[in-house]
Amino acid sequence: MRTSDDRSQRKMGNAHMTATLRMRLPAAALFLSAVFATGAALADGKIAVITPYLAQPGTQFYVEAFQAAAKDKAWDVNVIDTKGDVAAVISRLEDAATQKVDAVVINVDPAQVEAGLAAVKDAGIPIVGMDAGASPYLVTNVTSNGYAMAADTAAYVANRIGGKGNVVMFVFDAFPPVQVRGVIADAVFGNNPDIKVLDRVTPDVSDGGIADSRAKMEAILAANPDKGSISAVWAAWDQPALGALQAIEAAGRQSEGIVITGIDANPQAREAIAAGGNFEASMAQDFHGIGAAAAEAVAQTLAGKPPKSSVTYVPTKLITADNAGD
Amino acid sequence: MASALKTYGTLIGFVLVVLFFWIEIPDTFMTAKNWLNISQQVSMLAVVAFTMTIVMVMGDFDLSVGSMASLAGIVAALAFRDGHGVWVGVALALGVGLLGGLLNGVLVAYVGILPFVATLGTLTVYSGLAFLVSGGKTIFGRDIPTAFSGFARSGIPLADMVSLPSLTIVAAVVLLVVWFTLEQTTFGRRLYAIGGNKEAARLAGIRVRRLRFLAFGLSGLGAATAGLMYASRVASANPTQGSGLMLDAIAAVFLGMTMSEEGEPHVAATLIGVLILGVLGNGLTQMSIDSYVREVLIGSIIVLAVASSSLGKTKG
Repeated sequence: MRTSDDRSQRKMGNAHMTATLRMRLPAAALFLSAVFATGAALADGKIAVITPYLAQPGTQFYVEAFQAAAKDKAWDVNVIDTKGDVAAVISRLEDAATQKVDAVVINVDPAQVEAGLAAVKDAGIPIVGMDAGASPYLVTNVTSNGYAMAADTAAYVANRIGGKGNVVMFVFDAFPPVQVRGVIADAVFGNNPDIKVLDRVTPDVSDGGIADSRAKMEAILAANPDKGSISAVWAAWDQPALGALQAIEAAGRQSEGIVITGIDANPQAREAIAAGGNFEASMAQDFHGIGAAAAEAVAQTLAGKPPKSSVTYVPTKLITADNAGD
Repeated sequence: MASALKTYGTLIGFVLVVLFFWIEIPDTFMTAKNWLNISQQVSMLAVVAFTMTIVMVMGDFDLSVGSMASLAGIVAALAFRDGHGVWVGVALALGVGLLGGLLNGVLVAYVGILPFVATLGTLTVYSGLAFLVSGGKTIFGRDIPTAFSGFARSGIPLADMVSLPSLTIVAAVVLLVVWFTLEQTTFGRRLYAIGGNKEAARLAGIRVRRLRFLAFGLSGLGAATAGLMYASRVASANPTQGSGLMLDAIAAVFLGMTMSEEGEPHVAATLIGVLILGVLGNGLTQMSIDSYVREVLIGSIIVLAVASSSLGKTKG
């Protein structure tokens, strides 16, 4: 690699411009100096991390953890945020292929950027997904295990109600990552002969999911007015759990011991769980763990031993009143 | 000599940027494959910027192009989902673009609302419509026919591993059509006359209202074309995906305007503006420069190019 002194001399020679011209073109001068300020260091590997979603908290955690791991490995990581522009992700993937980086990490739905992924793969560069979705273009996709998260919360519900009672399920089968959660919960409840699934509700999510879930739960509460007629609400994600909680509290039935669980452990859900009411448990994804595991998958791939599975799972954690504030 | 520098400052700046990347990234930047890549990457922005040039020639703006691009993509994707063919979806989307553009034209030319305000209003309306008809969802996967998404990945093979992308061809055709319309027809010359002085143009017998009406229609049509290109490239349609196009398109036209002695937009100059934005994106990514530094650089270059050009002109 050339030193920057060497580079600047060559540039002076090549740019061949007079002082007057230079003044007329302050843009170019600024451009050159800024580039030197951020010149890349000598590194063991050049990794491009490309996402349109860096503004979202989850993605920020992945990327920070990835960068921390990359620092230990002395990689030169270039994080590219296209600020919501998915077509720009394709463009930057093409650039990374041209640049011949050593590996590419993406956090975007692979189906929407296949043109770019194909260019990277054609250049012989491995691609690792960081909670990206499954795709034949990826060496592996590092994510949380939706099956396991649903099993944990459904088992929590079954155990909390002593394997007996009526359960209301909130599901969303149109979205594959959430659909798998419902399937697992069905299996857990089906394996308990004294648990009856009272209703399997698909809420309207266009308003975020809380309001319609609340309305649906209010109707179910009205149809089952007796104390003890509903033992638990299992929700495939947090918003319906929060809506069900609002409905139960509005109906004045919070002392009946109805157990509610969600998945994702978003801040609003954590607050409700910490308050010690009916909403008792949710699942937290380990965003830092996903970033670190993605770095590990890149390291293994660069070392010639790519992960065997097309999906790499990072463990998740059950959140209850005991650890909701962590 | 000095006036030539004023006029060609932006062009020289562009050449210097290209030279800089050529020196810094000697192996991969100045290759046919990379330039074909760049041409494909800027093709959607180029189409919006070229048709935006038509309204900016008259001194007007069209702020609604980004949301119109999103809406057009959604309209086509919904038609595909309902089982209509590729051409039906494309025709519907272009029709919506033309009508939306003409609505802007009515508001600006016949109702007499300032373009900034009128198109700010329709920006919100078209964006809202895109959310409304799509239910806020991204339409993707099997709903998008491969004949449609395959277009953006196709091209005319030129040599081993290198082909001229279809999206680039679309942008080149739009460039030729807009260049011919603006520079070679009476319609185009009258638009420049309106841009020079609306009242004088009207007194000279130019039907100012009708021309502004039609020009906005063309801008809407261009936005819809770009929206379709975008949807094809990402094989999906999302109600916000075109929103980044509007500011970049206006920036490209402004960069181009610095190259004209009279400060008029010309579509060939707009092409240089588009290429400056595209080359910076491509080259800085290849140099592993932080993506936020790129934003700051692009913004600074726009301001400095326009500032140096206008300062030069005031002095001259």
